[in-house]
Amino acid sequence: MSAPDPSPQTPPKKRKKIDAGLITLALICAASGAAVWVLHGPEVFTDTLLVELGFAAMLLPKVVGGILLAVALGYVLPRERILALAGPDSGVRGLAVATAAGALFPGGPAVTFALTAGLITSGADIAAGVAMVSGWVLLSANRTLIWELSFLPAHFVGLRVLMTLPVPILLGLAIRHVARRRAITGEAAE
Amino acid sequence: MNILIGSAIIWAGALWALARVRRDHASELRTVWTISLDTFVFMLPRLMLGLISAGFLALLLPEAFVQRFLGDSAGFAGLLIASVFGALTPGGPFVAFAIGASALKAGATFGALTAYVTAWCIYSILRIMSYEVPMMGGRFTKVRLLYSLPVPVVLGLVAQAVM
Repeated sequence: MSAPDPSPQTPPKKRKKIDAGLITLALICAASGAAVWVLHGPEVFTDTLLVELGFAAMLLPKVVGGILLAVALGYVLPRERILALAGPDSGVRGLAVATAAGALFPGGPAVTFALTAGLITSGADIAAGVAMVSGWVLLSANRTLIWELSFLPAHFVGLRVLMTLPVPILLGLAIRHVARRRAITGEAAE
Repeated sequence: MNILIGSAIIWAGALWALARVRRDHASELRTVWTISLDTFVFMLPRLMLGLISAGFLALLLPEAFVQRFLGDSAGFAGLLIASVFGALTPGGPFVAFAIGASALKAGATFGALTAYVTAWCIYSILRIMSYEVPMMGGRFTKVRLLYSLPVPVVLGLVAQAVM
């Protein structure tokens, strides 16, 4: 087992607490809240607010666990094994493993982003990270089986999953291809 | 139920990782806490605003309009519009699938439905701002979104060709 990188890159340290992202979210929230108040009345507004706050309270333990997992994983995972499994030279196999991990691992955004951040800190490249997150957003087995199949016809779901299967791997290959070309042209320019 | 299972899995993983850090890199434990706390403080307001907005937006979504539009849309432009609608549809898993199901009844093509569902999967704006940017950083998020840009329309075209 190797000594892990003593200074993991993700998640980044100190950053601005108020940025464009937070302001945008606040504006969306205020505008949609105002619209609900006007169109549906104050009662619906309050009910929705309470329901979502309750949901947030239920989510918080998961989020805290996810953050701790993401940060601690960076110190714990065996670096050279992750590098071989999902590093820049892991090929299609590495991307396929990342896609499958994203698609099959249950638990939602806190789990998937935490694992991906931990893997990237431990040697996986950004292409494998994108394959993993894409595997989850596009193919999450949990969501497909529970939600998609209950609403949409099975043959549509089957076809969508089949067509989508190679997408995370292709995204990863494209990212690696561009990264490699950049490295080559960068060297040539020097 | 899902939340419970997810929380249990994630805490089991977190406790295991923390125990390993404590055993093998005890001096780094403090850094782990500092970075975690910093991330949490960054994430908390974004998560709250994201969840509350999702609740409000789900009420405001002009479902009938989206359904009719998906039903009518055809060709490349139709796929493009379906993708934009998908990206803008907020809320939990059932919202987009429910709309997709009614759109199908209203005559939507499998191509349009594929583009709509795929775009919704990739570009959930609230999930991106509340989770992805805080946990993965801006660069990762930018790369993922940029490379995924053509995916909904391309899959819509494939679906149109196959079905």
